[in-house]
Amino acid sequence: MERATTLKRSDPWVRLWLGAGFLTLLAGFYFALSAPPDANQGWLVRIMYIHVPTAWVGYLAFFGCLYYSVAYVIRRKEHYDRMAAVSAELGLIFLGLAIFTGSLWGRPTWGVYWTWDPRLTTTAILFVVYVGYFVLRAAIEDPELRAKAAAGVGILGSINVPISYMSVVWWRSLHQIQSINLMTGRVTIAPPMLLALMVNLAAFSLLFIGIARLRGQIALREALLEEEP
Amino acid sequence: MIGQAPKPRLLARSFWLAWRDLVLELRGRSGLLAAVFFLATVLLILGLALGPAPRQLAQAAPGVLWVALALAGSLLANRAFGLEVEDGTLEQLLLLPGEREWIYFGKLLFQFSLQVSVGLVLLVLTAGLFYLPLAAWPGIILTLVLGSLGYASISTFYAGLLVRLRGREVLLPLLLFPLVVPVVLAAVRATAGLAQGDWSEVGAWWRLLGSFDVIYVTVCALLFPGILEGG
Repeated sequence: MERATTLKRSDPWVRLWLGAGFLTLLAGFYFALSAPPDANQGWLVRIMYIHVPTAWVGYLAFFGCLYYSVAYVIRRKEHYDRMAAVSAELGLIFLGLAIFTGSLWGRPTWGVYWTWDPRLTTTAILFVVYVGYFVLRAAIEDPELRAKAAAGVGILGSINVPISYMSVVWWRSLHQIQSINLMTGRVTIAPPMLLALMVNLAAFSLLFIGIARLRGQIALREALLEEEP
Repeated sequence: MIGQAPKPRLLARSFWLAWRDLVLELRGRSGLLAAVFFLATVLLILGLALGPAPRQLAQAAPGVLWVALALAGSLLANRAFGLEVEDGTLEQLLLLPGEREWIYFGKLLFQFSLQVSVGLVLLVLTAGLFYLPLAAWPGIILTLVLGSLGYASISTFYAGLLVRLRGREVLLPLLLFPLVVPVVLAAVRATAGLAQGDWSEVGAWWRLLGSFDVIYVTVCALLFPGILEGG
């Protein structure tokens, strides 16, 4: 049963999600380019249309990893373990993109590629947590043991997401510093910019679902290949 | 060691497990002594690196204290399950009837006691070498207790997770450090506030540490039996 679905050439759902994602991305690209420049940042604001969606998908992916890790601990199905790994993988890629685009934006805006802003620091820490997740996966040969250990790290690591976020909030409220907030653009955002941002958010989310599904199928084939002599 | 009560008394079990580990640790000596001397070396190197100006050293002292303690914690974490695996006693622990959370709590208590005792030694050393003001010492000790509990909750969990793995000595710090950053950060801030006599933020950092402790201990205790099971 599982084998039959595996060997089907391509899953229509993957094509649907990816197709919708690419179409929305095209629309998002159009809206992003037609949106007006920001009063303070000028055209630099366009980086936001990539930066915010990648960061959003990164966090979404880590919550996906949490979801599938919990599901694995409860149900003990290999599928959940594979999907947790796929989610974490995509989360790393998108969070890496978010950090990269963020530093490209930071150089002309703040004058530096990197500052020790709490949000930046906690994001970097989050990145390291999931690098550790994959180092752990690579270190364990036995699939069941690997799945169990990875689920543990996936769950604890995801708990760090809201904790890091809260610590950012607490830090600010403690210090009362007027640090540059990456999200300030959203408060005073003009309708065309909001539209561009929303369309891009939708596009990246759709692409994420499509890629995750596709990657999950590839992971399944890899697992089946390992089993067969 | 464990009482012959008809119903397993899990709290007592946890306590006796921690007690046994502590006795073994004190008799063996090598682990604790090595950790303390390693830390003394770290402090000397940091002292040299940061320069001889007393004011700079005093400013860096809270950070030095907690970085050294975090390093010590990753050394000590390997002690939590190291002997169990060497002597093959982990299977016997797992064979005992009842839920397995008590193993986690026992090991946590053990790690916590080690962490706090090493922390106290470190505190005295940092006060001497880095001129950390100890006027508010009850507050600093409370910070030490809260921070050590948060640190130990995660280090114990990961030590149990990696117990049968080769190369765990390298993996453990890699997994452990990113997760304990919030705890270390809050502890450093609270210690710095206490050292400078600026109490305005200390309460907030304590609350933060307290909530980390509650969350980490709860989640780790819930997950631990599922992770350890069967090994």
